[in-house]
Amino acid sequence: MKKYIFFIATLCLIITSCTLDKTDYEAEINTEVTEYFEFEEALTISSATYKVSIETLNASFFKGYNEIHLKIIDTQTNESVKGLPITFLPILTDANGNKSSCPHLYNLEYNEEEAYYKGYVVFTSESDTTNNWQLYIDLQDEEVNTLNEVITVESQTNMNLNMTAFTGNDDEQYFIALIAPQSPGVSENDLVAGIYKYNQPTTSEGEFPDLSQYSYSKVEGYTLYLDPRMPEPSMGNHSSPNNQDLTQGEDGLYYGVVNYTMTGNWTLNFIFKNENGELIKGTEVSTDFTPGIEGEKSELYIDILF
Amino acid sequence: MNKIIVVISLLLVSWLQAQENTSTPDSLEVVVIVAAKKSKIETDLKMAVSVDEYLASSDNISFIKRGSYAWEPLLNNMSTERSVVTIDGMHLFGACTDKMDPVTSYVESNNLSEVEVKSGQEGSMHGSTVAGSIDLKRRSTPFGLVKKWKGDYQTGFEFNNNQFFNFGNVAYSSDKLVIDGSISSRKAENYNDGNNKEIKHSQYNKFNTSLGLAYKTGDLSSVRVDAIFDKAKDVGYPALPMDLSLSRALITSLAYKQFFEKGLIKVWDTKLYFNTIEHYMDDTTRPENLVHMDMPGWSTTYGFLSKINLKKDNYSSEIQLNAYDNLSIAEMRMYPQDRSERTMFAYSWPWVTTRYAGLSINNSWDITNKSQLNFGGSLGVNYNYSKYVEFNWIFHPGAPQEKTRYLPNLYANYQFHLNNFNASVGGGFGHRAPSVSEGYGYYIYNSFDRYDYIGDPNLENEISYEANVSVGFTYKNGSIQAKANYFYIQNYIIGRILSAGSPMNYQSVGVKGYTSLDYSTLFNFSLQAKYAILENLHWNGTLTYARGLDDNKNNLPFIRPLSYQTSLHFKHHKFGFLTSLNGDVEQINYSPEYGEDRTPSYTNCNISADYTFQIKNKKTVVQIGAENVFNNYYSTYADWGNIPRMGRNFFTSLKINL
Repeated sequence: MKKYIFFIATLCLIITSCTLDKTDYEAEINTEVTEYFEFEEALTISSATYKVSIETLNASFFKGYNEIHLKIIDTQTNESVKGLPITFLPILTDANGNKSSCPHLYNLEYNEEEAYYKGYVVFTSESDTTNNWQLYIDLQDEEVNTLNEVITVESQTNMNLNMTAFTGNDDEQYFIALIAPQSPGVSENDLVAGIYKYNQPTTSEGEFPDLSQYSYSKVEGYTLYLDPRMPEPSMGNHSSPNNQDLTQGEDGLYYGVVNYTMTGNWTLNFIFKNENGELIKGTEVSTDFTPGIEGEKSELYIDILF
Repeated sequence: MNKIIVVISLLLVSWLQAQENTSTPDSLEVVVIVAAKKSKIETDLKMAVSVDEYLASSDNISFIKRGSYAWEPLLNNMSTERSVVTIDGMHLFGACTDKMDPVTSYVESNNLSEVEVKSGQEGSMHGSTVAGSIDLKRRSTPFGLVKKWKGDYQTGFEFNNNQFFNFGNVAYSSDKLVIDGSISSRKAENYNDGNNKEIKHSQYNKFNTSLGLAYKTGDLSSVRVDAIFDKAKDVGYPALPMDLSLSRALITSLAYKQFFEKGLIKVWDTKLYFNTIEHYMDDTTRPENLVHMDMPGWSTTYGFLSKINLKKDNYSSEIQLNAYDNLSIAEMRMYPQDRSERTMFAYSWPWVTTRYAGLSINNSWDITNKSQLNFGGSLGVNYNYSKYVEFNWIFHPGAPQEKTRYLPNLYANYQFHLNNFNASVGGGFGHRAPSVSEGYGYYIYNSFDRYDYIGDPNLENEISYEANVSVGFTYKNGSIQAKANYFYIQNYIIGRILSAGSPMNYQSVGVKGYTSLDYSTLFNFSLQAKYAILENLHWNGTLTYARGLDDNKNNLPFIRPLSYQTSLHFKHHKFGFLTSLNGDVEQINYSPEYGEDRTPSYTNCNISADYTFQIKNKKTVVQIGAENVFNNYYSTYADWGNIPRMGRNFFTSLKINL
C-alpha cells in the first residue's frame, strides 16, 4: 500500500503545478489604483489661542475632490473646541499674482459625534513653482481669528478621482469631481460625483479676501447623463449595459451607477442638463461598434483607469 | 452503438449470472474475464481511429467540427451541455469557454475499451441529462490471466495531413496484481481540402498516457489506482480565431471493488477521483487578429461515486450515489495596441463552482422471457457558486451568488421480442441545470454566429419530456431496425440577442444572452439494416433524420439533415475489404438566426483493405485505405464556419499483438 500512497502523493505534486499562474484578481484591480481609507493629519496651523489640525485622506491634498476634517484645540485649555463658526477659503495665486479659488464649503459643519468640523474642497490644479495654494481659515469666537497657510496640492494618481472644469452653454463655470468609487471593480459601481458652479460676482473685487469673488455652490437638481466607453481602438467603442445617469442625492452629491465590463481605460462620457432639461454641456457619442478606431468622446468627459 | 448497449446488457447479465453460479473464491477472475470480452475501439473502415472518429460511427452522435481535432459530440442532435460525458463514470469538464476541449479530447482510443452511449433519460445514471450519456470506459485487464504479459503496438501514417501516430499498450496480470499501461502520440500537419488547398491552422500534436494498477486485497475485493495524462500542444482550430498552445489533463481515480457471493448485493464499487485540466488558447499564430488576447482556462473536479448491483431472480438493479465538485475558471486578458498601456482583464468564467450530488437507480425486470421492463431515475442536487458574482451582476443586477437546484429524472422502457420481431417503447422526464457558460459565462465569443454570449444565473432548469420507440425485424440473413425519439424540452436554453451591452471581442457583431425559450421540440429517427449477401460478404446501411424546432417553429441550429451511410464488407481468408459511402442531403432546415446557412449535399466514398498475418507467432494486421476517394470538396452542416473537410486521404496502419 505504501507504494500507492507514494504514487498518489507524487501525483498530487504534479497536479498542483499549473503551467500558467491564475490571475490574482484582487491584486489586479488594485495595480493602477491607490485607495485611501484613513483620514490623517495633513496640516497643523496654530494661532495664539487655537491649534487647527486638518485631516484628509492619506494626509495629503490632491487635485480634485478632498474631504477635510478640522480639529480645533484651545491651546490654553488643551481641549477640543466645539461648535465654533469656522470658515474655510482656498486661494490660488498664479505667476501674475492673480487670485482665484475653487469649489469649497465656506462654512464648515460641526460634527458632534466625531468632534470635528467637516468640509470639502475641489482643487482645480496642482501646486507648482508658479501656482500656489493658500488656505484661509477664520475662527470666530469673541473676535475673528484668521489663520492662513500655504499648502501643497499634489496630483491625483488615482484616475478614478479625476475632475473636469468647463464653461457651460449658459456661460457659467462648472466643476465635476469624481468622489467614488476609488477602486472600481469589473461590476456595477456606485458612481458619486460632486458638481459645483462658480457664482459669478456682480461687483468688482473689493479688499482681499472679498468673498463675493470666491463664491461657489453645489449645482442643484441637474442631471448628468452617463455613457461609459472604452476608448482603446481595439475595443471598438465598447460600452456596458445597465448604467444609471447621475442625479442629485439628499446630501447634494450626484449619484449614478456605472458598469465596467473589464479593467483598463474607460471614458465616462457625459451630457449635462439643467433642471429644465436644457443642455449645459456634452455631446452624444456614437454607439456604433468600430473595432480598430479609437472611441470618440463627448465634449464633456472624464477618463478613468483601473 | 446499439451493438455496444447490447454487449453491455449481455455483459451485465452474464456477469450477474456468473456471480450467481460461482461460489468459489475464483469468482472475481471469472467475472472480470467475462467483462473483458469487449468490443474494440475501431470502426469497420479503420482499425486505428481517434475517439472522435469512433463515436462518429454511431447513428445518434454527430459532431460540431472546428478543425481536425477535438470534435464536439452532439448526442441526439443536442450540444454537450445537454449530455453527460464521463470517463468510467467520472465527471470532468473542459476548461475552454469556446468548447475546444470536449471531454472526449482528453482520452485516446488505445486507453479505452469501449464507449457506452445511452439515449435520453436512460443516461441519467451519472448525472442529470436531457440528451443522454456517453461513458468512456477505460481498459482494465482482469486478474490471473494465463498469459501474464500482453501488449500491442500500432503505428500508422495518413497522407493528407502527414499524420503519424504510434500507440503502445502493455498489460501485466497476476493473481494479485494487474498493471495496465498505455502510451500514444499523434502528430499531424495541416490538411488539404477537396480542392487541394491547404487548410491553415489545422495541425495538432497529442500525447496521451495512462497507467492503472490493481491489487487484489482479498478473494472478492480489489483496489485500483488509475491515472491518465493527456497533453495537446500546438493545436490549430481553423474555424476559430484562436488556436491552442497547450492543454493538459490529469485524470486520476482510486477505486475499491467488493464482490459478494451470497445475498441480494452482488457488487459494491466505490471510487474517489480527481482531475485537473489546464487549457491555454493562443492567438499569436494569427497575426491578422486586431487584438492580442490571452485566454487561459482551468477546470478542477473532485468526485466520488459508489455503486451497488443487486439481483434477485428475474430482477436486477443498479443503485449509485455520485457527487462531484468542479471549479471552472476562465480568464480573458486583452492587450491594447499600444502595449505600454494597461491590459484589459475580465473573467469569462468568474470562478464558478458546481457541486452535484445525486442518487440514481436503474432497474431491469424480466417480466417473461419475451419481455423486459427497464425503469429508473435519479434525484440530484445541483449547487452553483460564482465567486466573482459582480461580473454576472453587470447584465443581471442582483442575481444570486449561490443557486441550488433539484434535478429529478425518470424513465421507463418496455422491451418485447417475439420470434423475428422486437419492439420497445419508452418515455422519460428529466431536469438539467444550466452549464457554467449558460449560467455564468461572460462575453464568451461564439465565432459561428459572431456574438458574445452572456450567462444568466437565474435561468430555469431545462425540463425534458421524451418518448422513444423502436421496432426491429430479423429474417434469415438480414435484419432491419427502426428507432425514433421525440423530445419536448421546456425552458430550452439558447442565446438570444440582447438589446443591452455592446460587443467586447472585436470580431463580434453583438451580445447574446442565454435565455429560456418556452419550449422546443426535437425528433430523431434512424433506420439500420444489415444483410449477409454471402457468408463473407456483408452489407450495412443506416439512414438518419432529425428535426428540431423552437417555440416559434423556427429551426434549431446544428440539426443533422437526412443522412445515409452504406458499406459493403468482404472477407476472404486473411484479406478484408471494405467500401463505404456516406453523406448528407442538402440542409434545408437551417437556422440563419444562429449563423447557419444552407449547406449543400455531399457524398463521400471510402475504401480500405487489410491483411492479417503472423510475425513470429504474433498476430499482425496491416491496413491501407482511402477516405474521400473522389477528393470531393465539401463541408457539413456542423462544420464551424463552413470550414471545408479533408480531401482525399490515404491511410496506412500496422498493428502487432505482442
